[in-house]
Amino acid sequence: METERKTQVVLAVLTMGFAALAINFVRVPARAGVEKRAPLILPGSLAIVPGTIRVSAAQLVASGGDASGLQCYACHDAKKPPEIRYDANHRVVLPKEHLDLIYGMRNCSECHTPDEGVKIEYNADGVVIIPDAHRNLAHMAHGRYLRNEDCFNCHVSTQLDHLHTPEGLVVGLDQATQLCAGCHGTQYRDWESGAHGRRNGYWKSSAGPTVRQECTSCHDPHAPAFTPLIPMPAPHSLHDPRRNPS
Amino acid sequence: MTPDETPPEGMTRRSFLRTSTVLATGAAAIAAGLAPLRKIGHYSSVEEFLQKQYKELSPAEMKVVLARIEGEVERQYGIRPHVRDYKPMSGVQFVYALNLSRCVGCRKCVHACVAENNQSRNPEIQYIRVVKLPNDGSFDLESGDVNYTPKSVPEAGFFYMPIQCHQCHNPPCVTVCPVKATWQEADGITVIDYNWCIGCRYCEAACPYFARRFNFATPSIPKEQINPKMSYLGNRPRYKGVMEKCHFCIQRTREGRYPACVEVCPTGSRKFGNILDPDSEVSYILKNKRVFVLKEELGTHPRFFYYFDI
Repeated sequence: METERKTQVVLAVLTMGFAALAINFVRVPARAGVEKRAPLILPGSLAIVPGTIRVSAAQLVASGGDASGLQCYACHDAKKPPEIRYDANHRVVLPKEHLDLIYGMRNCSECHTPDEGVKIEYNADGVVIIPDAHRNLAHMAHGRYLRNEDCFNCHVSTQLDHLHTPEGLVVGLDQATQLCAGCHGTQYRDWESGAHGRRNGYWKSSAGPTVRQECTSCHDPHAPAFTPLIPMPAPHSLHDPRRNPS
Repeated sequence: MTPDETPPEGMTRRSFLRTSTVLATGAAAIAAGLAPLRKIGHYSSVEEFLQKQYKELSPAEMKVVLARIEGEVERQYGIRPHVRDYKPMSGVQFVYALNLSRCVGCRKCVHACVAENNQSRNPEIQYIRVVKLPNDGSFDLESGDVNYTPKSVPEAGFFYMPIQCHQCHNPPCVTVCPVKATWQEADGITVIDYNWCIGCRYCEAACPYFARRFNFATPSIPKEQINPKMSYLGNRPRYKGVMEKCHFCIQRTREGRYPACVEVCPTGSRKFGNILDPDSEVSYILKNKRVFVLKEELGTHPRFFYYFDI
């Protein structure tokens, strides 16, 4: 019958309509998820986070970030340490992008340029001659009232790269913690048990290594007080009139 | 209709028009009624809509769910993640300790957390708030400032108190959840099933530490900043309309690693470990340092302790 056929057509059209509606209902929210918006925080500002963020050294420099909390292996793979290159005079060539990085909380490039090189000179008795510039009290800030400004309180006078502890032991620079402990016993006790200083890696020793940062990883032994840091951006509050003038 | 006309067997033009008008109007009314649902749902598939609560999922079902989530993330962000369901370790109770004498308020923890845990960049979601408080002995949180932007920190006359989820032993946020989408795990971490959360925000209101965040809009994260190592209860991308909060970096800590905020802290103010291990740093701190918990009078029993170097 003509009318039956029409009914079937109408029903078919309606069924298709409902099906289309159902498909639309399921699909549309998934599409809405990828809409693009301008970032409130510039990605570059995140470059100053060491540790978990993956940025290039160039980006790090471009951000003008404060790298005082940075460890080499925050960026470099510890299993593939970067190759250190030397020039003809056996001086370490500093990569250009590292010029702004701070070594031991002190920026060498404040005074030295990388191609200038630094020569250690000795007197007739084999004692290292301390350049006058390093006697500058601005560089020595260990101990209140600047009482601890004599290099040989800590350094062995004939070998600057060796230290002598209050007990008379001579240790290498890599064992400076033993020397620090001589005066800073309470901090050393806290450090030994983990309450003072940084620990990285694994809290569970059976799962992987716990890296205990030594005193000089965080403190410049010549000026151990922490230098001020540049704070990371404040939270973006939609209600903050300073950020939304309109 | 005149009497000599036989009644039609099927349908007259009039009844056809009437029926189809009714049907079309009904269809339009149903579509209009369902329209708001299109906006609130984040469901991309029927499987997702019908997914069971986390604790009811069998290992086999969980495998299917994780594979589906990996696909969803890949479609949305164009990066193939590795989503795992990390289970709590036995004999482990996590405790966090933060040294208020050392914290300088640099907010590195805040941004390391955002990078590790795939928080939305726009609108901005952060789990840690660093409160700048006057160092006048009053300890008045009302006079705190979280929007400080000086050239350098610390500022003289102030101290800094980062606040994040305290992973309470007696969590008010869990009590108020009407659908059991949030609960406390065996190792003490309070977690959220983002697929089960209905977004009522009761938990946000119940939390005395302002630790929970709500996704008012679809989170947006630049593709190159996605952390592809994800966990179901932790840092996988969240949906619009669900709650999220600090989960002690479940994808790191349940592997034995330190959370991102501990790793990044330049002053070593942040301490994390297993309180059941007598040799852990947190055990030493709780035994030997002057510790306190925030808003102790509320009886929430936080697993997050503040301490001083005295």
